[in-house]
Amino acid sequence: MRRRTLLLGGLSGLGGAAALVVGWGVLPPRSRLGQADTLPIEQGTVGLNGWIAIGDDGGAILAMNRSEMGQGVHTALAMLVAEELDLPLARVRLVQAEPDRLYGNVAMFVDSLPFHPRDTEPGQQTLAMRASEWVVSKLARELGINATGGSSSVVDAWDVLRLAAATARAQLLGAASLAWHLPVDELQVEHGVIAHLSGPRGHYGLFARAAAALPPGDVHLKPASARTLIGTSAPRIDLPGKVDGSARFGADVRLPEQCFAVVRHGPVLGAGIGTVDAGETLRLAGVERVVRLGSYGGSSPAVAVVGRSYWHALRGARALQVDWQAPPTGTPSSAAIEAALQAAVSGTAGGTAGAASAASAASGSDRGKVFYDIGDPAGVMARDRPGTRLVEQRYRAPYLAHAAMEPINCTARVAAGRVDVWVPTQVPGAARALAARVAGVAEDAVTVHLTLLGGGFGRRLEVDVVGQAVRIALETGGRPVQLTWPREEDITHDFYRPAAAALMQARVDADGLPLAWRLTSAGDAITPRWIERALPALTAPIDTPDKTTSEGLFDQPYRVPHQRVAHVATRSGVPVGYWRSVGHSYNAFFLECFVDELAGEAQRDPVAYRLALLQGAPRHAAVLRLAAEKAGWPGFGAAAPLPLPLPNGTARGVALHESFGSIVAQVVEVQLGSDGRPRVRRVVAAADIGTVVNPGIVAQQIESGVVDGLSAALHGRIDIVDGAVQQTNFPNHPILTLAETPVIETYLVASSLPPGGVGEIGTPPIAPAVANALFVLTGQRVRALPLVV
Amino acid sequence: MQLSVNDELHDLDDAAVDPAMPLLWVLRDVLNLTGTKFGCGVAACGACTVLVDGAALRSCVTPLAAVAGKRVTTIEALGTTTRPHPLQTAWIAHQVPQCGYCQSGMLMAAAALLATHPVPTDADIEAAVTNLCRCGTYPRIRAAIHSAATAMRSVGPGGARG
Repeated sequence: MRRRTLLLGGLSGLGGAAALVVGWGVLPPRSRLGQADTLPIEQGTVGLNGWIAIGDDGGAILAMNRSEMGQGVHTALAMLVAEELDLPLARVRLVQAEPDRLYGNVAMFVDSLPFHPRDTEPGQQTLAMRASEWVVSKLARELGINATGGSSSVVDAWDVLRLAAATARAQLLGAASLAWHLPVDELQVEHGVIAHLSGPRGHYGLFARAAAALPPGDVHLKPASARTLIGTSAPRIDLPGKVDGSARFGADVRLPEQCFAVVRHGPVLGAGIGTVDAGETLRLAGVERVVRLGSYGGSSPAVAVVGRSYWHALRGARALQVDWQAPPTGTPSSAAIEAALQAAVSGTAGGTAGAASAASAASGSDRGKVFYDIGDPAGVMARDRPGTRLVEQRYRAPYLAHAAMEPINCTARVAAGRVDVWVPTQVPGAARALAARVAGVAEDAVTVHLTLLGGGFGRRLEVDVVGQAVRIALETGGRPVQLTWPREEDITHDFYRPAAAALMQARVDADGLPLAWRLTSAGDAITPRWIERALPALTAPIDTPDKTTSEGLFDQPYRVPHQRVAHVATRSGVPVGYWRSVGHSYNAFFLECFVDELAGEAQRDPVAYRLALLQGAPRHAAVLRLAAEKAGWPGFGAAAPLPLPLPNGTARGVALHESFGSIVAQVVEVQLGSDGRPRVRRVVAAADIGTVVNPGIVAQQIESGVVDGLSAALHGRIDIVDGAVQQTNFPNHPILTLAETPVIETYLVASSLPPGGVGEIGTPPIAPAVANALFVLTGQRVRALPLVV
Repeated sequence: MQLSVNDELHDLDDAAVDPAMPLLWVLRDVLNLTGTKFGCGVAACGACTVLVDGAALRSCVTPLAAVAGKRVTTIEALGTTTRPHPLQTAWIAHQVPQCGYCQSGMLMAAAALLATHPVPTDADIEAAVTNLCRCGTYPRIRAAIHSAATAMRSVGPGGARG
């Protein structure tokens, strides 16, 4: 383990390893096909590889290794298989993938490398970069961490699942060819039925056993022109159960003899437990027992009450008298943290925002880990050449809670030396490992039953509730216990999107375009903390640089010849975790507001200004133009005038952002309501996501990302005072309502490039687009979230 | 205590319930009707919406005693597989749900709206459907309610849903 850890940490100095690399930057898909013995054993099915089995009835069974949390992954991945097998989508049945490293996520880990997207395009990569990608992808495959997140499921599955299905198809055709003594290339498949013009026909089920014994021979993926399913808005396979009430989320698991539990954490984050007086609690009807819980997967200590229903347990929990103790890690306050972040980006010891000055621009913020460094940023920033000007602004963003609609929950049973866990999780492998540790059994004595997730957003990358539930289950005499967190516990004891700040400095030329910029952000690094909680075996002795801290700043397409983009990683003491789009969720606001300010200072139309910076980035320019055209942006030629509000008091704002391998531009139309607060009426989103698997699902995800980001932009904040989170439930932690939701239009660029990510990409642009529209309406720049006019 | 849910009369075990126990938990944890969801416990999110004598109520704050002798309808009885409610048909046509967790409550709130406002305006929808969704299904919910309303109006007198 230590060797792997050091290898990950040493990737930045990879010179020696370059000599080892031959060929590709990532693994060949064939190496991830696996063997049929990793499939669950089912009567009447024949496994053809690690992903696909064929049933007696000729349908296919797909080992589903990703969690469905609303993003449509079950449907999208099933479509890849249905396409290459020439089966109707309805004939592909899903079974939960077994815990095998075959089902690990490679794409998500390769994406964690801190390379600029332009530098990793084919033909652009240095040998060191290719070596890094090869090493990380091989490690990711060996470790086999099964995680759903990072908008990576389709990206990761694209080649592997299509090849698995095409390989199975080739084997089945080979078996039919042998059975019928007919040439394989004269055989056709339609709807899973193999046929020959001379007459013989038979569905896949008839040939599966023979196919399993055959080597695949020639395997061809369908060319794009031959696809009949991929690229269509096939209806999602999970929706019928979600409209008739039959869909089963983690909270809906019901087992014989099941009891219910509720937890109470302390009034401040990390508070310890002194004495617990459960006298009154245990006298209440329907209460069974009280269990003290330590910290599991990063949770705060808690007291659990077990009862015959959630309500009985909750009533009992409210009657507990607990002597809470000060947390050993201290009691942070968000106001002080935010001041410290401003100081961190300035490189000053003081905490005042007014520390920005020409002196700071000249010597400037040289703090932090540099993620992008080209040209001579220090020199160009310092040289006060005639016709050039310095522009400097500060931005900030608060802590955010996740508040997925399905509360945090896990059902656990420990009986006869085995552990069963039913949980809505994005990381079933980590759940299994923690369950095994808490119960004191080997991992192969643990079965994780993955349910549907009522929203993930990154919160269910944490396994704290699994540890808690298994610990409680050790006390219930072999009966299953379902632990559900009250909403208040969820909001006050989350793993928050970190608060962040940025100091953005640019030297612009006579046309107002940036010659150089120095972008310095600050905030907690999530990844080292998440690894400590969820993958403790991989904990490094020191924090390795976390690319998510600077993503959205260092990896954007604008052509600025001299750049220094850096992040100062802090440790605030507040538990932090991945929140939809992670670093992009604050950095896109910082950058797209700053670029808009530069455009304003240059007296240029914001779209035209951005286009001027997108020389050499035609895909990004095309996406921006598409959004502007569809939104009716009045004109974005070189001489376009500054935008003005429309006669009905609506103003437009724009933002462009690349994240997770995809490009999105959004134009918003905003008004000020009679209460003076922003009302977003319309969002026009354009996206280039490479090959589109299911346009309907992509549109859903863009809408989802927009609403999530808009909710955060208008309402999102978490205030912490002396370790106590002030927001507790929806009444004081408002989220966007139907009444506040704009019309959202999505336009997709046709592309034959491999798919990019989709799940998170709609979120980053919306906050800056709205802020930029507010400037047109009010003449004021809002540089902090949530947006307050 | 007896409780009528989806036109079925249930004899509730006295030891399992309490007159103060919110209807939501009787449904979910005693009757194992898990289609109605828990989201907040303070009637702020609407995931727990059911119909009581045809009117939408948030069951997480409705004590069992308050629904004694009344007809409770949950998502499980909104429609059937062979005769889905027009809202359910519209929900599929517009591909509304994403994670789906809030959707039972949304559908029940929408059903109550259409029962009293067969031609709802956007303002009617915004006033009646204040349920929270974190996945951003709101635009499609609006569209699906309009579609269902149209479909229900176009069905003749003999075929309209009661």
